[in-house]
Amino acid sequence: MNRGLFAKTFRETWPTALLVGLGMLAFKTLLAFIAPQIAGQMGASMLQMDFVRNILKALLGSEIGDVIDPASFGAFAWVHPVILALLWAQEITFCTRLPAGEVDRGTVDVLLGLPVSRWQLYVCDSLMWLFWGAAIIAVGWVGDTLGGWAAEEGFRPPASKVVPIVVNLYCVYVAVGGLAWLVSALSDRRGRAIAVVFGIVVGSFALSFLAQFWGPARSISWIGLLHYYQPLGILQSESWPWRNMAVLTVFGGVCWVIGGLVFARRDIRTV
Amino acid sequence: MNPIEIENLTKYYGKRVGIEGLNLRVSAGSVYGFLGPNGAGKTTTIRVLLGLLRASGGRARVLGRDCWKESPRIKAEVGYLPGDLRLYPWMTGRSGLRLLGGIRRRDLKEPGGRLLERFGLPADVRVRDMSRGMRQKLGLILCLAHDPLLLILDEPTSSLDPLVQQSLFAELRERAARGNTVFFSSHNLAEVEELCDRVAILRGGKLVVEESVRELRERAGREIVIRWPAEIDGTQIAVPDFLEVRERESNVWRCGLNGAMRLLIGWAAEQPVEDMSIGPPELEQMFARYYQRSDGIS
Repeated sequence: MNRGLFAKTFRETWPTALLVGLGMLAFKTLLAFIAPQIAGQMGASMLQMDFVRNILKALLGSEIGDVIDPASFGAFAWVHPVILALLWAQEITFCTRLPAGEVDRGTVDVLLGLPVSRWQLYVCDSLMWLFWGAAIIAVGWVGDTLGGWAAEEGFRPPASKVVPIVVNLYCVYVAVGGLAWLVSALSDRRGRAIAVVFGIVVGSFALSFLAQFWGPARSISWIGLLHYYQPLGILQSESWPWRNMAVLTVFGGVCWVIGGLVFARRDIRTV
Repeated sequence: MNPIEIENLTKYYGKRVGIEGLNLRVSAGSVYGFLGPNGAGKTTTIRVLLGLLRASGGRARVLGRDCWKESPRIKAEVGYLPGDLRLYPWMTGRSGLRLLGGIRRRDLKEPGGRLLERFGLPADVRVRDMSRGMRQKLGLILCLAHDPLLLILDEPTSSLDPLVQQSLFAELRERAARGNTVFFSSHNLAEVEELCDRVAILRGGKLVVEESVRELRERAGREIVIRWPAEIDGTQIAVPDFLEVRERESNVWRCGLNGAMRLLIGWAAEQPVEDMSIGPPELEQMFARYYQRSDGIS
């Protein structure tokens, strides 16, 4: 790998990653602190009311079962729209930098005038994307732990249950990023690439939301990425969601490889 | 081995022709002018040579290697300045040299410093704060700093002031004298005439002419003004074939020379000519003819 390329990518991406990381830390701390308190105030009987259950199902994007304990409220901190929006904003802006962003601003001519292959550029940027994703999600976990310290015993999920959620979220990150790399490779305009990927993830989020109320949406919910990310289910079942993680990783990986092949073979036109 | 060898190169954009059946050979140590009006196919050719575009047909080799399959290896020895140069807004002269040095795995500090000084560019001004001319200078410095065997410059003098242009030409001549090759794309005849040894002219994606600048000059017409003594009526003197008389008064002829200079000198020596002035080669007119399409629209 080329250290100069890493230095360039790092130079261009650290400010966004830092901002998103700080935002993630703040929101996760807050959510991890607030969610169990709300659960404590609601009481078990309220949780059995239909309209409350429906609201919770929609927010969590998954079936909540017959019983929901206060610790399961910790799942809110992992599916909250702000958390997902922060993560997706960071990776969509990152993954559309190359080639769409570089072609769009014309700097790709300088970059590809250097003795590096297109695959080298693609892999180098991708490794940095995976690194930032891991760092941001890890920071979110730190925030979750910090917020959890303030909660009473029994109101916070144990770390052994949170680890599969963290890994599952990273798989979502891989899936969305892989898709963004593919769309970026097919595009000459960064704005268009961002709009397409953002549209798909928002659509996926909306589908996951609707599937809790509406039969037709439920029948096709498997096409949405968030169908394969259900923190509440992980907290309640205490098992690793291997199948979901595999689907997300394979989807992201396939998109990434196709994106690389497209980028390596396409014409680069900036004029 | 010629640094650039192009055989029957063709590039289509859908149904539109970028270049068609292009053949070129650029020899080592030459400064090769690549002329043509906008849309002639100059930039397309350059982008194919650099592996940015994939040719639809034909073959192009740069420094003996296939320009698509071996593009990264080629670019280790090539310096490229794009026609529409865009640099990273955060970049400065110093950070740009450090960055490119890191990617090229070479120390560009010393040669880059010399070029910064030669072109009078401050090392620590960011691109976002630079004028267009300063950006162009930085682009040139970044493509010259690693002392490439082959320089591919796409309209490099745009937005450079005349003094910097002269510095650039001096730099390019020095490099050509050391055996490096310069491929110089332009639509400005004067600079190609001043700098280049050979020239290729493109129009509509096809090669129109390819020869040395000296040969072109010889073929180009010149304006000749012949003054006859007052006692001689110039209208009575027979006009030789190699002169095209544009104005013919009793004691002054204004003509175009359409032949070798020695014919004119030989003929004039036998005539009672009082004075004769010979203008520079009319390359502009000649190029204008090449630039014009068959339907007369340029």
